Amino acid sequence: MNANAFWHFLTLQLFKERSKHLSVIVISAMILFLLSSVLFISSSIRFSLEETLKVQPDFVVSRVQGGISVPTPMIWEDELIDIYGVSNVIQRVYGRYFFKAKERSFLIVGVDFLEEQSHENLQKLIAKTDIKAFLNGSKMLVGEGVKTYLDAHFYKDDYNFLTPEGTFEKVNIFKTLPFQSNLIANDMMVMPIDLARKILGYSEEEVSDITFNVPNPDEWDMMTDKVSALHYDLQVVNKKDVQKSYENLYNYKGGLFLILFLVVLSTFTLILYQRYSMVYSSERRNIGLLRALGWSINDVLKFKFTETLVIVFASYILGVFFAYVYVFVLGAPLLKEVFLGGQNLQNTLTFVPVLDFSVLTSIFLIYALPFIAAVLIPVWRVSVTEPKEAML
Amino acid sequence: MNEVLLSNQIIVFLLSESTLFILLLVAFVVSLKVLVKWDFESFMPFQFALERQAYLVSTIILFVFVMKFILVVYFIFSIDALSLLLPGAMCGAGVIKANVYGSYLLVLKLSILFLLTLWFYIHYYDMRTKNHQWFKHKSWLFSLIFVFIVLELGLDFSYFSNIDTHLPVSCCSALFGQLEGANPLPFGLSVSLLLVLFYLLYILVILSLKSGYTLLYILTNILFVYIAYYAVVYFFGTYVYQLPTHKCPFCMLQAEYAYVGYLLWASLFMGTYIGLSDAISTLWLGKTDPKSKNIVVWLLSLFVLLCTAYVAVYYLRNGVLL
Amino acid sequence: MSNKTMIQIENLYRTFHHAGNAMPVLKDINLSIGQGECVVLKGVSGSGKTTLLSLIAGLDKPSSGKVLIEGEPISKLPDLFASELRAKKIGMIFQHFNLFEHLSVNENVTIPLIPSGLKMKEIHEKVDDALKVANIMHKKEVLASRLSGGEKQRTAIARALVASPNIILCDEPTANLDRDNSLLFIEILGELHRMGKTIVIATHDPLFDSLSFESTVIPMVDGMIG
Repeated sequence: MNANAFWHFLTLQLFKERSKHLSVIVISAMILFLLSSVLFISSSIRFSLEETLKVQPDFVVSRVQGGISVPTPMIWEDELIDIYGVSNVIQRVYGRYFFKAKERSFLIVGVDFLEEQSHENLQKLIAKTDIKAFLNGSKMLVGEGVKTYLDAHFYKDDYNFLTPEGTFEKVNIFKTLPFQSNLIANDMMVMPIDLARKILGYSEEEVSDITFNVPNPDEWDMMTDKVSALHYDLQVVNKKDVQKSYENLYNYKGGLFLILFLVVLSTFTLILYQRYSMVYSSERRNIGLLRALGWSINDVLKFKFTETLVIVFASYILGVFFAYVYVFVLGAPLLKEVFLGGQNLQNTLTFVPVLDFSVLTSIFLIYALPFIAAVLIPVWRVSVTEPKEAML
Repeated sequence: MNEVLLSNQIIVFLLSESTLFILLLVAFVVSLKVLVKWDFESFMPFQFALERQAYLVSTIILFVFVMKFILVVYFIFSIDALSLLLPGAMCGAGVIKANVYGSYLLVLKLSILFLLTLWFYIHYYDMRTKNHQWFKHKSWLFSLIFVFIVLELGLDFSYFSNIDTHLPVSCCSALFGQLEGANPLPFGLSVSLLLVLFYLLYILVILSLKSGYTLLYILTNILFVYIAYYAVVYFFGTYVYQLPTHKCPFCMLQAEYAYVGYLLWASLFMGTYIGLSDAISTLWLGKTDPKSKNIVVWLLSLFVLLCTAYVAVYYLRNGVLL
Repeated sequence: MSNKTMIQIENLYRTFHHAGNAMPVLKDINLSIGQGECVVLKGVSGSGKTTLLSLIAGLDKPSSGKVLIEGEPISKLPDLFASELRAKKIGMIFQHFNLFEHLSVNENVTIPLIPSGLKMKEIHEKVDDALKVANIMHKKEVLASRLSGGEKQRTAIARALVASPNIILCDEPTANLDRDNSLLFIEILGELHRMGKTIVIATHDPLFDSLSFESTVIPMVDGMIG
């Protein structure tokens, strides 16, 4: 087989029959576009979440009574510090604050600015903040989303929080949080821990939870057992559990989509089968001629398969390319809402471009394999055309 | 629903396997019909139709042949990715051992690849005889392959639907690590003896291949794969990981080690597949292909060289062995 | 001319089965054609000459009997061998020219060589040689759809010649040509005859009754050689 002449002939044939192939390529590319966009979004979100998780503390301890979280007593902190192998024990106070008819809520995070932080981003944040000025009076740091919302409601410089006791607490906006890990920071308000206690209704001796790190990962399982044995109403969660549940959540969203997508795919496969059966039967005479001129069945099969592969790759590249542009350049309008639905703030999330080899292979397999399988029988049927057809 | 079955890769994998199965089922039914009615001497139009249908069978098998190779790599890759979901698993080793089906499935997949390679050889020779001399041979072989493939599909689904994501599995250090006093190596070998055997067998494989002692070659090559597996897990692998206690055939497939495991295992298995297929063709059909032999020499040498290189580079860098 | 037998046909039958009825098209054909011979199969349409030609070319399979090309029985040859034989030993010229209309003359003539594995340079040489013999070199880059009937026929000749086969088979070659072009075609045929090619022509054109070069006319009636 002379490769040059083969490709030359193939190109000319494809060009001549372009009207027949074009519709297939366009439809395939559209289906691939949809599929790739969804998988790109989900892998990008997963990537961002993993990045976010990386800087989170390893363990979180809280009090759970009857399956409901209740304020955690501060004395637990001392018990944790006593366990060998535990470091960075930190108490946290946080909760959601609801605005205006409860349609919006933001996350209030209380921070003890004088202590070491177990959350790496917070640590960085504090390093950048002028603590003296910040601690002087009631002040807070807010996320981009919060700032936008408050601005829209004419709270330019401060906001009056309503505490559970029914009193107002005026807090000045000190700074807008840097736009770093936007998934977490977008709806966050960071303020001194005592102020947060007041607004969220905790007593002096209570915190939301206590975090700590365990530097040796081999001890994690053991540590979980040890810590949860401290009190019957103590719940301990480690970072791996959280990661696993995120993984499951996104597998669930992506997997559900894929299963629904199978319906589209099988319809598409059937259409392909019928269409190519038709297209190829119109080529019988030409194939018969090729056979009469000395092409073997193998040569014709090779020719037809290469033709199919060209179509498969062309639509694959087109679909994936446009999906990339749509998700990572344009920010996936519309589809984003599907994935991030339930977020009560207008999300300023941008997708971090991640081109994962496994995602690309998955897309290729789920599309190319059924495609080729569908045209395989039509390809065979036309390839074994008897050469005498050329004489008719 | 099982969380594993919702993993994107597993869905794609099972779908691909099922699609291939449907194609193979078509091929199998056609193949049986052709096999039963085949009479190459006949001039009936029916026989000519059968000859055309034989092309359908071989086209499907060839397509499946290519896809199965890609899918085995994808399977291993997905298994590796699943280790995130399973408590305790650090790599594919733990995931494979997550239930009883895993190891059988992996061995079955590797065997099917071998049988497909063998089929490909017989098909190649059959196509180049003027009376389709080996037609029945290859059809029977395909029937055998099909039985294996049915089994494989069943195991695929049983395996993935029976992975319990709450049950902790062992990580590779527990699976392959040396228990006190227990020697994991076959025949009670020590590591140094294992290495001697490894290089000796390699030389023997090449010599028997080159000199045409086919039976000896088959024996030594099978033994070589067996010994090579242990040599990689218990010796060469530790140099890949640069950690004397890290013994695992799977971790080297991960990005941290530049995916070298794929190259390593692929060169060993591909070399063996091609070599054994050629050897069996020699014994069975009396056909032999010198080009295949060269490829085998190249692949197996690449494997041995790669293994050795890890040790050598480590030694040159650190001046000591592990 | 040498006496080597190029085409040997023994007890050849071809029966078409249509809706349960058996229609015999060729009945007990025996024929032997030596190297360099020119044979004209003459008969009205339906006499079976095209079918006989397809059987010689290996395009069709007989119902019984044998066709041997240079001593090799081709009727039960697996496709890989049959197509190689067609590619190397037989050149076909069809009644309707059967060109790929969207390809140029050059590209059309290249097609039989694509599976050959020849180098591009060799392919170019062979194509140019064939184009020269068929006297169509001047239209090399013209699309087949823009050619006149005679030019199409000469492209078809070039295509049949390009793999330098020893046997040239022509199926009603002048049916779609005017008289001038038919004569031109016969002239080229004479050229091929001088080159030592074995030529079989199936036709009902009286122009082939008396060719300027040595030829044998074999009449065909109702699927039998008369």
